[in-house]
Amino acid sequence: MVERIKAELGATLKETPVGEADYRERGYHLFAEVASADLLNVARFFDERGFYLAALICVDYKEYLELVYIFSNHASLCKVKITLKIDPAKPVAPTISTVFDCAYWHEREIREFFGVSFDGHPNMTYLFLHEGIDFYPLRKEKIPVSDEDKKALGAFRPGEGEDTFFVNLGPQHPSTHGVLRVVLKMDGEYIEDAQPVLGYLHRMHEKMAENRSYLQFLPNTGRMDYLGPMAFNLGYVTAVERLCGIPVPDRANYVRVILTELNRLSSHLMWLGAYLADLGALTPFLFVFDDREEINDILEPVTGSRLTYCYFRFGGLYNDVDDAFVAGTRAFIERLRSRFSLYEKLVGGNVIFTNRTRGIGVITKERARKQAVSGPVLRGAGIAMDMRKSEPCAAYGKMDFDVPVGTRGDALDMYQVRIREMENALNIIEQALARLPEGPIMTEKAPRKLKPPKGDLYHTVETPRGELGIYIVSDESDKPYRMKWRVPSFSNLMIFPELAKGNLLADAVAILGSLDLVIPEIDR
Amino acid sequence: MEQIGNMIGWETVKMVVGLVGVLVFVVLNALILTWAERKVAGHMQRRIGPKEVGPYGLIQPIADALKLLGKEILTPREVDKPLYYLAPMIIFVPVLVSFVVIPFDASLQVMDINVGILVILAFSSLSVFSILMAGWGSNNKYALIGAIRSIAQNIAYEIPLLLALLPIIMMTNSFSLKSIVEAQHGLWFVVYQPFAFLIYFIAGVAETNRTPFDLPEAESELVAGYHTEYSGMRFALFFLAEYTNIFIVSAIAVTFFLGGYQGPFLPGIIWFLLKSYLLVFVIMWLRWTYPRVRFDQLLNISWKALIPLSFINLLITGGLLKL
Repeated sequence: MVERIKAELGATLKETPVGEADYRERGYHLFAEVASADLLNVARFFDERGFYLAALICVDYKEYLELVYIFSNHASLCKVKITLKIDPAKPVAPTISTVFDCAYWHEREIREFFGVSFDGHPNMTYLFLHEGIDFYPLRKEKIPVSDEDKKALGAFRPGEGEDTFFVNLGPQHPSTHGVLRVVLKMDGEYIEDAQPVLGYLHRMHEKMAENRSYLQFLPNTGRMDYLGPMAFNLGYVTAVERLCGIPVPDRANYVRVILTELNRLSSHLMWLGAYLADLGALTPFLFVFDDREEINDILEPVTGSRLTYCYFRFGGLYNDVDDAFVAGTRAFIERLRSRFSLYEKLVGGNVIFTNRTRGIGVITKERARKQAVSGPVLRGAGIAMDMRKSEPCAAYGKMDFDVPVGTRGDALDMYQVRIREMENALNIIEQALARLPEGPIMTEKAPRKLKPPKGDLYHTVETPRGELGIYIVSDESDKPYRMKWRVPSFSNLMIFPELAKGNLLADAVAILGSLDLVIPEIDR
Repeated sequence: MEQIGNMIGWETVKMVVGLVGVLVFVVLNALILTWAERKVAGHMQRRIGPKEVGPYGLIQPIADALKLLGKEILTPREVDKPLYYLAPMIIFVPVLVSFVVIPFDASLQVMDINVGILVILAFSSLSVFSILMAGWGSNNKYALIGAIRSIAQNIAYEIPLLLALLPIIMMTNSFSLKSIVEAQHGLWFVVYQPFAFLIYFIAGVAETNRTPFDLPEAESELVAGYHTEYSGMRFALFFLAEYTNIFIVSAIAVTFFLGGYQGPFLPGIIWFLLKSYLLVFVIMWLRWTYPRVRFDQLLNISWKALIPLSFINLLITGGLLKL
């Protein structure tokens, strides 16, 4: 696959060379620098070959701005980094949102954080920030926002139509689970248009990363996705380990898998309860909290916290697990297995529930690729893609589990995929516990002061919500030069407007719930 | 006493005493039901519900009522004031009137009107006005959508509700609730009319806006529906009306299908309350078990299933009676 793409891309690009990168060091196989005139052709090239736009990143190198496009493939592992240099004095680039729909939001994000304008973009308005920001936050030098830009960026104003009215779903609303605001254009009970407005929880983690050492940033990762912090921890430490070449002892790898899967369980359980609360059934919420409490009780003595964990370290773990942990986890597996039949009876077999979720929010494979959705949403749409399988980190490569997929791509499929993923998580934990090796939990080769070699890395892990991509640029100092977080909820939310269109308000709530969004992660 | 009675007429005295009794019962009933709902919900959700205030948390509803009474009465600036003020008061009228004709016991009935059930049905339709006033007057989009939903729902479900009661009226040849109860001296009507009972009960749950038919106040979609903008005592009035409506729906079911106040050993009123609160419990049970149906599904259940079924039931009953 990689060879073929290299040859074909080389033929398309003609003059510009296509380089081959060391995948284990860089996280991508091929790279090429294109001219802005070629960009759209390249995008179409990847679109025709079934690639999706995994991430769109901007890096400010002072002399020039660099746009980084990561293209990836669902079917086989092949990642390509396409870069485009732009002049910082007059930052303009062509949009590729006409080819890949998910670029629509990424480009808006880059516009407000870097001031890069995208030619041909249909809606260059603010996504996260508000009109009061008078500089571009992620530029290395302070560049004031010109008045023209401010005017263009702050253009979003919902106006009422003749037969329609606007309803604000959020930012304070029971079903958005956080401070997400969706402006709905309604015709009676039917939705004509949905426009998510983000940024109510924006904390600029990416800028924080540039001002902290690698270790200091570690606690931030757990604050992004408060329901699945372990997977974010895992993604970050494995990324930095990959960048610096730090080895990890076997035992630590197994413990990482166990804890990440336990956290995935608690995240999925939380989703189950919250989703049913969205649909009007309040009781399951308390039942899943009961189970979730058990997980917290298991994790608390080991990690020292119950919600925003910061447990993994570069080269190992903070703390070893003891026999009580192993026994407690085994008991919990038994307990949760017996509960699945109860959930099936109460929820999965409930005719009201299945009628509410069947056939709504249908995502086709093609739309899933164009919008770059990931995780259970992608698998519900029928694409068997799991980063734990395709790019296994920690000890995932040694685990035996299947990847559940849906057939219809509707909200009911997302539910079934998540339930089966929970069962899989139990199996993975069981396997890891059975094979848990003795030995050290921390490598002795971890340097005291981390100064990764010059270069970049795009590293992905599977969080409970999908593909987490971390792009780190190192300039050999002890702080990252640029760190971009490609978060799964952000990409999954992008598909919401087209799913909601033409549906009832009640369905919009059910669709929003089936995407399993965590707002602090979207806003970062 | 005799003189006072003669002066203003015994009927009037009975009416006034009855109305005061009804008012006391409405308040008591709401207090008990809020406590019961929280206890039922608690035990269904693996917790114990209120327990701090009084034994088993029994005083909790009184504490809540005092809190609501003590709250500042807020009026949002943009509301349509007359409608906004009137809505919570008007919602209470049909509720009170319904109680006047319900026979709690053989002799415990404020008034036995020969069109008793029609009075209840006619007045309970009025509560739609109050909901519409609240929804429109609040000048809030959530409230408005909630009110629109509520009206569509109430109209759709009043038809099967009435059609399910009609076979009983045909069997007894009477609109008077008391004679309907007396007619069930032998076998309860639920034995003759099990389908009518089911249809009535489903429609009744929908009429009271309870889960799985709680669309007008669907929390996850409409925040609180038509009473989003109400707080303090005004909110409490809506709340009170909701719980009283649940009791009325159960009480009519008991009167029509479950033999009313009749039963062995215990006094009639005990039987009546026992049966009614059992049905109330079932309604609560439903609420804490099921998710909410969607709006089009809700209307489909009524127009496509309940109404045709109740017509068939009515036809069969009519045919059998003629034989």
